Amino acid sequence: MSTNNLLGRRNFIKGIGAASIAIAAPAMAISEKTDGVEWDKEVEILIVGSGFAGLAAAIEATRQGAKDVHIFEKMSYYGGNSAINGGLFAAPQTPMQKKEGIKDSVDTMVQDQVNAGRGIADVALLDHIAKHAMEALQMTLDVGAEYHPYLQQLGGHSVARTYQTTVSCGAGITQPLLEECRKIGVHTHNRTKFEGFILGQNDEVIGVKMHDNYYFGEDQPGKTSNIRVKRGVIMATGGFAQNIDLRMSQDPTLTAEVGCTNAPGATGEGMYQMFRLGAVPVHLAHIQSGPWASPDEGGFGYVSNYSIYNFPHSIAINRLTGQRFMNEIADRKTRADAELNCRDAKGDALPPILITSYKDSKKHPNTKKVIKYNVGWKFDSIEDLAKHFEVPLTPLKQQIGEYNEYVKTQNDPQFGKNMTEAKGKFIEAPFTVVRLWPKVHYCQGGVQINTKAEVKDSLTGKSIKGLYAAGEVTGGIHGVSRLGSCSIPECMVMGMTAARSIMKA
Amino acid sequence: MSKLKAVLALALGCLLTLSAQAIEQRDYHKEVIGKDCKACHDNGIKQFPSDQACLQCHDVDDLAEQSARSEEDKWQNPHNNLHYGKELPCVECHGEHVAKKPICSNCHTFKYDKHQE
Repeated sequence: MSTNNLLGRRNFIKGIGAASIAIAAPAMAISEKTDGVEWDKEVEILIVGSGFAGLAAAIEATRQGAKDVHIFEKMSYYGGNSAINGGLFAAPQTPMQKKEGIKDSVDTMVQDQVNAGRGIADVALLDHIAKHAMEALQMTLDVGAEYHPYLQQLGGHSVARTYQTTVSCGAGITQPLLEECRKIGVHTHNRTKFEGFILGQNDEVIGVKMHDNYYFGEDQPGKTSNIRVKRGVIMATGGFAQNIDLRMSQDPTLTAEVGCTNAPGATGEGMYQMFRLGAVPVHLAHIQSGPWASPDEGGFGYVSNYSIYNFPHSIAINRLTGQRFMNEIADRKTRADAELNCRDAKGDALPPILITSYKDSKKHPNTKKVIKYNVGWKFDSIEDLAKHFEVPLTPLKQQIGEYNEYVKTQNDPQFGKNMTEAKGKFIEAPFTVVRLWPKVHYCQGGVQINTKAEVKDSLTGKSIKGLYAAGEVTGGIHGVSRLGSCSIPECMVMGMTAARSIMKA
Repeated sequence: MSKLKAVLALALGCLLTLSAQAIEQRDYHKEVIGKDCKACHDNGIKQFPSDQACLQCHDVDDLAEQSARSEEDKWQNPHNNLHYGKELPCVECHGEHVAKKPICSNCHTFKYDKHQE
């Protein structure tokens, strides 16, 4: 194997700009040097990124007959942001919905997402994903993922349709998927950073540059190799929420001071490289903050899943007024914006509180955790609670009384909350309480794809040959606000779709 | 002039010696490894040790046993954790020459009292 790289990175990029003349390379044997590209290795399918999308793509490609599938991950550990996410999976017409007698359909799930997308979501992609969501859920079950024995109704969803792993984390899916990948012979490579594409004569992707010995955030030597791909490349590199410069270029309010739930590797270079190839950037400025996050811990922590589970039967209270200030199960953007408006007399952030009856919150395993690790608190009386958070007692008591009426009548005239899941769940002592403050969570923007997971070229309007993308690196699917638990099905379905397309191409 | 040079050389020499001595090393590693830098720096002195370097002496299963927690917190075991199982490279949480925080503290408030930075 040759390690001699004749083309510098800078020349390579220039080459792309100049219609790839410099790196045009006809079909050739491995390690044969033509037109400046010397191949170090050849693989059948190359996947960049090891989250839900990359892992699902690798398994599906192998199931479809691929023999030599390689996943490359820049971090030292596998799973990307998927390994630390909430493990929430929405799908319509599932066995659990049948069991619970919940009426749902592909169209209903799509419509809920279209509403949150505020008119700019991609209906064709949402439809494709909802139609195949059950298949993706089945793949996770096949490899051994386990789910809580109940469904949840997340914000913006008109019915309960969300499964959650028993460990209340995406790792409950990524770990079994990774194990399955290895079992079926998928090759996994960590600490290997994608550095760019290598194009053929007709601007099709025929290979990639990979940098090994990569230590995230550190300066370490490593060598770059040219890897030829027989069938193509699937980009599953995730979002860019941890790239402060990039997210601020889209939304200047998302400064370094704003918390972020993402894994540190979510920095977007894979997306940049696709833009350099000519991919269409879509909706980059729509960056979502999670309204269930806590200022009392870093990242996603324990509180996020605690709140997601409890919002339907809880009240969110502005500590200045002692009053509710939002529909607790509105879509994420509506809630995050409402929370950011909770401020003290001087205008400083005053994180609102989420009040839940302990009898209802204790059903979720995270309740024990938030109390044990001091990121949530239990109170025996409303007086203790009000004193602890300096909330005016009288309006708070009155608000709880009014809300409990809404629980009884199944109608919330105050904020129009869907009270179905709150049925019979009155706000009563003892209480558990967490503080809320939004954290940057998800990038709705990315490269444009079609329902075959092909990446569109902005100049030709056609799909870029040899290139596929899936998951958060793609954009425009969800529009303004992605609904919770709709990313895992999207990642998995589009990863599987990319694998099917690449095997048919 | 030559005297000054000699003084400078001496001073520089001392500094170098000092900096060499100032490299932090765990006491038990001092005993077992001594000053054999290559024992860990298997990819060359200027590079970080490979992810396998520590495993020449340490066994991840043993470590997982030592750091095991009660059943309800079993996935907080840093050597066999919820997110990455037993695969997290040692250097994500431990630095021989620099202090490091456990990677868990990015998102969680639970503590590891015995954590060796």
